[in-house]
Amino acid sequence: MDDIQGSQFLEIEDRNISKEYLEKGFIIGPAANQETLTWIRKSFIGIVKKELGINNNIDTEDFLDLIHQKIDISTLNDFRLSMISKVNALPGFKQMYYEVAKPYLDSIVGNELAMQSKVNLSIQLPNDNSSLLPVHADTWSGDSPFEVVVWIPLVNCYKTKSMFILPPKESMKLNKNFAILSGENSEDLFNSIEKKVNWIEIDYGSILLFNQSLPHGNRVNMENETRWTMNCRFKGLFTPYKDKKIGEFFEPITLRAASVSGLNYQFPELK
Amino acid sequence: MNERCPQHIQNIVLRDYCTKMKYKYLLSGAEYAMNNSYLMLKQVVDEIPHIDGIVAYSIFQMPEVQNERVKIYNNILDKNGEIHFALENLKIASSSEINKIENIWLVRQTIPNCPSNLLLD
Repeated sequence: MDDIQGSQFLEIEDRNISKEYLEKGFIIGPAANQETLTWIRKSFIGIVKKELGINNNIDTEDFLDLIHQKIDISTLNDFRLSMISKVNALPGFKQMYYEVAKPYLDSIVGNELAMQSKVNLSIQLPNDNSSLLPVHADTWSGDSPFEVVVWIPLVNCYKTKSMFILPPKESMKLNKNFAILSGENSEDLFNSIEKKVNWIEIDYGSILLFNQSLPHGNRVNMENETRWTMNCRFKGLFTPYKDKKIGEFFEPITLRAASVSGLNYQFPELK
Repeated sequence: MNERCPQHIQNIVLRDYCTKMKYKYLLSGAEYAMNNSYLMLKQVVDEIPHIDGIVAYSIFQMPEVQNERVKIYNNILDKNGEIHFALENLKIASSSEINKIENIWLVRQTIPNCPSNLLLD
């Protein structure tokens, strides 16, 4: 049942966004606050320069796109983990990340949310097969189907410099015939859906929200630019959790007054 | 909260946390296995200020009853100690930090009562 129950209560824009999300499995739209996104990108560039000992003030548009000229594949993962740690330590970073996606999250998930405790970062250098995410649905490894991923590119992403996702209708067909279509390994699985996936085309300045219970992933980046994308899960605070639990993986970010009151309510005691 | 991770794995997480935070890890204390036992936790709390604080594996190892949890936090703070929770990377070093952890506890306790599907006629 994928229609929106009680949709007459939703604003037109909410209905349209919801419809698109349910039909395609994702939506792409301009970041809700471009200044905030610019701050995020500038912060990233500042940290990268410090990490790599680059002292000049040059901040060309293609600085991140061409970072593969300054990083070796062998040091990439350590660099990425260091970036994740430093970026998440920036005061207000998580609030900024949420702000950039807030109106879309309001429409698709709601306004009482849990957010992944750490924003994640993907860096995919050209021709690097060490940073691959084979086709998968996050629900296949224990995520709750109630989670949504907010994917924010720091560069323009297209073709193999991006990710792919299988649309919902195709995903349902795959689920019905999984035993046959999955073959012997994830490569067989990808080959069986390759012609049906959507390659996400998204420019810096826009954000992507996608349904992580749909098969998705990336391939070797055959373009000549590096992909930089952040990703973070959100879910309704009171929707079911699976292996990624509140506390260790998610934290409440927009607890509302009625919930605060309800959570703290205690019956009077008769002694 | 039916959280059960093997003790030796908990110890690895605790040691890793202490290493990252540059804390001197003294000795681990394993709580008694009886239901609702917090005797060992209370013993360790009593050792503050001879120790700076406690690192627990998870916030969900604290008592399920809110009043008892908050009593423990306040005991620790009154002794100028801290309690850290390695799995969630959270801590209580001041009373202003209690709310964040309590919200997580309360949401977690509420979730089993929330619907996971909408069965409509």
